[in-house]
Amino acid sequence: MDRLLVVRCPDLLVDDEGGAGLRTLAGVLTAVEAYCPWVTAVRPGICSLPARGPARYFGGEDALVDLVRTAASAVTPAEVGIADGLFAAVLAARHGVVVPAGGTPTFLAPLPVGILGRSDLAELLDRLGVRTLGEFAALPDADILGRFGADGAHAHRVAGGRSGELADLRDPRTARLLDGGDPGGPVVAEPGFWGGASDADARAARCLATAQELLGPDGVVTAHLQGGRSPAERSRFVTWTDDGRPSARVADPGRGGPGPAPWPGRIPPPAPAVVHPDPVRAELADTRGEPVRVSSRGLLTLAPDRLSVEGGPWEPVSDWAGPWPADERWWSRSRRRAARLQAVTARSAHLLLVERGRWWVEATYG
Amino acid sequence: MFVSAPGRRLTRDLDPAALAALSALAERTRPVAASRTRLLPVLPALAGLLPDGALRRGSTLAVGGSGDDGALSLALSLVAAASASGSWCALVGHPGLGAVAARDLGVDLGRLALLPRPGPAWAEATAAVLEGVDLVVLCPPFPPRRDMARRLVARARERRGVLVVVPGRAGWPEPADLQLRIADAAWEGIDAGEGHLHRRRVTVTATGRRSAARPVHCGLWLPDADGRVSPADPPGAGG
Repeated sequence: MDRLLVVRCPDLLVDDEGGAGLRTLAGVLTAVEAYCPWVTAVRPGICSLPARGPARYFGGEDALVDLVRTAASAVTPAEVGIADGLFAAVLAARHGVVVPAGGTPTFLAPLPVGILGRSDLAELLDRLGVRTLGEFAALPDADILGRFGADGAHAHRVAGGRSGELADLRDPRTARLLDGGDPGGPVVAEPGFWGGASDADARAARCLATAQELLGPDGVVTAHLQGGRSPAERSRFVTWTDDGRPSARVADPGRGGPGPAPWPGRIPPPAPAVVHPDPVRAELADTRGEPVRVSSRGLLTLAPDRLSVEGGPWEPVSDWAGPWPADERWWSRSRRRAARLQAVTARSAHLLLVERGRWWVEATYG
Repeated sequence: MFVSAPGRRLTRDLDPAALAALSALAERTRPVAASRTRLLPVLPALAGLLPDGALRRGSTLAVGGSGDDGALSLALSLVAAASASGSWCALVGHPGLGAVAARDLGVDLGRLALLPRPGPAWAEATAAVLEGVDLVVLCPPFPPRRDMARRLVARARERRGVLVVVPGRAGWPEPADLQLRIADAAWEGIDAGEGHLHRRRVTVTATGRRSAARPVHCGLWLPDADGRVSPADPPGAGG
């Protein structure tokens, strides 16, 4: 399960009509981006970032939490926490704690079932004398699906820390309003597939539903393409549903898209086959071991000679190209010197992102 | 852990030759409604690597290289024609699919279900998906136990699916019907800061069992400048 850091801003949790809350949240994103460029707006007042890579950079998870809390608190009151999976991480932020890796079930156990936000389920469980997530999680799997349905079964997995997030935890509109770069418009499923008329379709739908029972709804997804500059921006993963449509929470069309955009700064094709879902820390150095940086004019300060990924051994860089200026999201107030670079080593070719002097492996031409 | 299936006992106890004969018999006697074609199509550039010029249903392939050099791209290329011709495909255990690259290689993303992080239930999830999906690409997130691997191979055979394993660092303890290895990956298009990654030349070697035991070598652009896979002349021949 993803190790996530969540920033929770209590003053911004209510969706406001005028958009002041969103603008403030945008300020929080900008502030937090100083530590990790992969910040995602989850819903009003809440954003998250993958914790593993940045924690290694900043001397551990506690140090990262302190840095992010200080940065976000300069904008608005903010609570910060880390746990496995989004559901637990939001609660960890609420309590201002770092839940150790693997400790999520223990952390969740004493919390009331009402926290799942399913009042019918909570009422039912209350009648059975089940009041905490731990008690709920202890109920045998076999009894859950028949009694509480698919959503209940998934909530059961979340309560036990076996699945990371509830289906309605994310508000796609928030992310979209803040991203400002989604020309995709509504997601329309191609007619006649996922449970369509044919035998093969029905068979596939059945077995994928089985896999979803096993892994939770978000365990089975499909990829959809959209506009954007970076490889990560250009695809979107949508929870698979067998009613022939991607799930409504992502299919929400939101605003009409502006149509195809030129996306200046896009890396020329071919596209990388692997886009790392968590940022991978990297170091890039010249022949003397000096770190390579990008100048204010968008040029490399030194010629790259060697690359280290995730603190691994130095590998010679046989070839490289770039830098290309990386995207600046519209809310960024400060001008950032972010850029992308292609680097080839004996084993692989990577797309690197540099921001504020820190290098990340964003994608690999696997 | 696995849903019980008829034939499982057989697949454990019989020797491979008897098993092959049995599955051939099963194929012939399968009711017409349930019988699907024996082969799944592949892109023309890959046909030369496969003994039938296509993917044989019920078979298991292993795709690997020495590094990150093209194994996923090759596996996705194998998915391309099948998905485009309407077969259901799945990618299990790879959390970072580059969807643009997959599309450019020819994959119909609408026919590709992704199970990016199956966790400890990966083998069970793969077995479930093999029940109804024609082609499953598996990147085991953990080193598979031999009995797990064997059961998945048997499941693919019983359900007439194709299992494409990308062992990566986790490894794969079972011999595959066909092993595709990637070597000599070399990128063109960049040089000391100039240009951009343009295309990658690889040599793919296919080694099979029985009739396909003699290795077949094939030069490919994986990807070519358009992000597709296309045949490449041998190095030095001017391609």
